[in-house]
Amino acid sequence: MNSIQGAVLKLPYYSPFKFNRTKPTSLTIRIGGSGSGKGRGNRAIRTTTTASASASLKQQEFASDVPSSSLSLGHSTRSDFPILHQEVNGLKLVYLDNAATSQKPTAVMKALHNYYETYNSNVHRGIHFLSAKATDEYELARKRVAGFINASSSREIVFTRNATEAINLVAYSWGLANLKAEDEVLLTVAEHHSAIVPWQLVAEKTGATLRFVSLNEAEVPDLMNLRETLSRKTKLVVTHHVSNVLACILPIKEIIHWAHNVGAKVLVDACQSVPHMPVDVQNLDADFLVASSHKMCGPTGIGILCGKIDLLSAMPPFLGGGEMIADVFLDHSTYAEPPSRFEAGTPAIGEAIGLGAAVDYLSGIGMENIHNYEVELATYLYESLCSIPGIRIYGPVPSESVSRAALCSFNVEGIHPTDIAAILDQQHGVAIRSGHHCAQPLHRYLGVGASARASLYFYNTKEDVDHLIDALKDTVSFFTSFK
Amino acid sequence: MSICPSFGLITTKVPIPLFSSKTQFPKSLISSSPNLFFSKPLTIQRIHIDPSYSSSSPSSSAPTSSSSLTPQPIEELPPKLQEIIKLFQAVPDSRAKYEQLLFYGKNLTPLDNKFKITENKVKGCVSQVWVRAYLDSDKNVYFEADSDSVLTKGLAALLVQGLSGRPVSEILRVSPDFVTLLGLQQSLTPSRNNGFLNMLKMMQKKALELFVESEKSSEAGGSDAEKVENPVGSLSSDLNASSSDGILNSGLSSEVGASDLGLNSSAPSLGGRGERIREILDRELKPVELKIEDISYQHAGHAGVRGSDGETHFNIKVVSEEFEGKSLVKRHRSIYSLLQEELQNGLHALSIEAKTPSEVNAR
Repeated sequence: MNSIQGAVLKLPYYSPFKFNRTKPTSLTIRIGGSGSGKGRGNRAIRTTTTASASASLKQQEFASDVPSSSLSLGHSTRSDFPILHQEVNGLKLVYLDNAATSQKPTAVMKALHNYYETYNSNVHRGIHFLSAKATDEYELARKRVAGFINASSSREIVFTRNATEAINLVAYSWGLANLKAEDEVLLTVAEHHSAIVPWQLVAEKTGATLRFVSLNEAEVPDLMNLRETLSRKTKLVVTHHVSNVLACILPIKEIIHWAHNVGAKVLVDACQSVPHMPVDVQNLDADFLVASSHKMCGPTGIGILCGKIDLLSAMPPFLGGGEMIADVFLDHSTYAEPPSRFEAGTPAIGEAIGLGAAVDYLSGIGMENIHNYEVELATYLYESLCSIPGIRIYGPVPSESVSRAALCSFNVEGIHPTDIAAILDQQHGVAIRSGHHCAQPLHRYLGVGASARASLYFYNTKEDVDHLIDALKDTVSFFTSFK
Repeated sequence: MSICPSFGLITTKVPIPLFSSKTQFPKSLISSSPNLFFSKPLTIQRIHIDPSYSSSSPSSSAPTSSSSLTPQPIEELPPKLQEIIKLFQAVPDSRAKYEQLLFYGKNLTPLDNKFKITENKVKGCVSQVWVRAYLDSDKNVYFEADSDSVLTKGLAALLVQGLSGRPVSEILRVSPDFVTLLGLQQSLTPSRNNGFLNMLKMMQKKALELFVESEKSSEAGGSDAEKVENPVGSLSSDLNASSSDGILNSGLSSEVGASDLGLNSSAPSLGGRGERIREILDRELKPVELKIEDISYQHAGHAGVRGSDGETHFNIKVVSEEFEGKSLVKRHRSIYSLLQEELQNGLHALSIEAKTPSEVNAR
C-alpha cells in the first residue's frame, strides 16, 4: 500500500495521514526498498502513530522514536477534537477545565451519530435485526469497559447515568441492606459531594456513623489517621483514587488491603483516575469502583459502577421497572441477575456505545502513554504556577516519590478566585473553574471559601500551560494595580 | 502522489485522502520551505456560535430572564443608572470597561460589618455578597453593599449608585436587561451563579419589603387591609413587569397576609404634622381609640401637594365619648375646627371616621 523511495529522517507529527481510529493499523515507512505491505520488513521505521493497535504500541517505541518537544501527545491528538479549535470572546480557546468534563474526539461523536443513524433500536427486547445489532453493540461496549479496567467479567459492569448515580446505587442498595446502628463508614474530608451526601442520607436511615480522615501537612489524606480509624466497626471505606482538588494520588491497593483486614468493603471513586491512567480493579481488589464517562472522552448521561459479582448478586434492586425483572406478578416480582438487576428501564444505549468508542480511542493511545505524558504536564503546570507571585497551590508538592495529577487548585493572595477566572475567560480565552469544586468540606478544612482550578487532559500541551501562565500574570497585575 | 516537491526525497503512494476537506493543511508543508517543523500546527476556525447565547444582544437575551420581549427603554431607568450606562457605552474596549467597573467598586462606601448578616447575604453566589437597604423620610430607598470579589463589588456599586435615592416603584420596574448595554459580557440567565441578577433581585425584594413595612406601620390600626394592599398591589404589578419569577410576588403575599391589620394601635411613624394632629385630638377629644394615617402619597402629583412637603392628606378614625349626642356633621366640624391651624398651613384634606364607644361596641 505504501511505497517510498528514499529516506525520511523525521516526519513532522502533524501528520497528513488521517487515521481511522476504530481500526487499529500501523503505518510503516520503509527505507530503501520497494514492496508493499504493512508492518513488517527490515529496517522499518515505525512512525509513532496514535492509530496503532494498543497491543503493538509499546512505550519504548514512543519514547525512542520521537523527541518529546515536537511530538507531544497533546499536539498529535488535538486534531481529533474539533471543539478545541475555536475562539471565545474573540480569543483562541484554551480549555483547562477537564476535571469538570472532557472533550470528545470525532470517533466518539461518530459512533453516537452512527448508532442513531443506522441501528437505533431498543435493547434486550426485540428479535428483529436492528434490535439485535443494538443489543450486540451495547453489550460489546460493556465488554470494552470491563476490559478497560480489567474487571473479571462484564457482568460486573453496571451502566448508570453517571458516577453520582453509581454511588447512590451502592448506598441505597448495598448500604441500606448492610449497615446498621453502630456501624461506621469511613471517608476523607477531601471527598466529592457525590461521595459524601448519599452516605449521609443512608446513615440517617440506618443509624450508622460517618467518620472522616483528615489531611496531613502535605495536604494529602492522612494514611496513619486512616489506619487508626479503621476498626471492626468499619463496614465501608469510601475514598477517591485521585483528588479533583488536591491532585493527590492515593495508594488504593494498600488502603483496600488494610480495609479488608478489618472486614470492611471499599468503594473507590475513580472519576479522576480512570480517564488518566491504567486502573486494574482486580489488582486493586476493589469491591466497588465508580467512574464517569464524560470525564474520559465519552458522552454525558452514562456512568460506570464496577462491583464484585458476589457483592452485586447479593444486593437488592435500586430502581424498579422493566429490564431488571425476571417475572412480574401483581403482588410481587422476581429480579434479574446483575448487571441487569440494576439497569431498570431503557438505558442510554447510544451513550453506552459512545463510551465504548471512547474506551477504544483511549486504548488506541494507550493509558500508560497518557499517564506518562500527564505526569510531565502535571510537573510543568505546578512549576509554572509557582512563578506567579502570591500563589498558593493546594495538595502535595510533586517530587520523586510524590506524583500529582495534572491539575492545580490555587488561590492568589488578595484576589478572589472568581475574579481571576472571569478575567482569564473574558480577556484571555482561558477556561478554568472557580468555586468549591463540589468539595465544600475540603475547602472549609483548608480555611478558604473557594479556589481556582486548572485541570489538563492529554490533548493539552505545554503551550496551553504557557498561555495560562501569561494570562494569569496579566490578570494578577490587573487586579493588584487596583489596590 | 508526492507530498512536497521540495523534499525531493520522498514520494508516497498513499491511498488515504491527503487533502480531505477537514484537514487544515499547514502551508509550510506544501511550500518550498525546507523546514520540517512547523510553528503553527493548528488552524483556528471560527465556529458559529448561536448569537442568542451572547449577552451583547438585548433583544435575544435568555428566554427566562425577563417577561418583556423588548428591553426596557433606557428613559424608564433611574437617572443615575442612565448616566452609568452612557458612561460605559463611551468606553470602547472591554479591558477599560473592567477597569471602570473596578473603579466603581473601589469607591463603594464600605458596608459596616454589623450588616453582614444572613438576611443581607445574596444567596447562591460563589463570592460573598451582602446588600443592605433602608428608607429615608421620603420613602426613597438607599442601598449599601459589599463583596469579597472585586468584580462583583463593581457590579454591586453600579446597582447601589444607580438605584439609591429612588422611589420603590421605580426600583421595582428596573429590568436586568440594562446590563447588556454596559458591554460587560454579563449573562442574564437566571442561575444560582448569576451574582448580578441575584443582587438586583435582592435589592428589589428588600425595597418592596421596606415599603410594605412602612405602610403597615404608618396606618394607625383598624381594618385597613385594602388601604395597604392598593399601593402594594400596584407596586407588585410594577414588579411583574420587570421580573418574571415569582420570588417577589410570593414574598409580597406573605407580607400582606401576615400583616396584622387589626386594632393594634402601635405608634405610627408619622411626620411632624401627623404628630401634631395626634396631639391635638388626643388632648381635646380624649379618644378611646385614635388612628391617623398619612395618605399623602396617594395624591402626589396634583395641586394639593405641590409646593408643600408632604403630609397633606390623612385618614383619621376617632372613637371618643365627646361625640355622644352629636350628629355626624357636628362631629366632623369639631375635628376640623380643632385642626384649623393645620388646615391653613398645608393640610389639604381629611377623611374622618368619628364614632362613640357605644357605637363601636354595638357592632
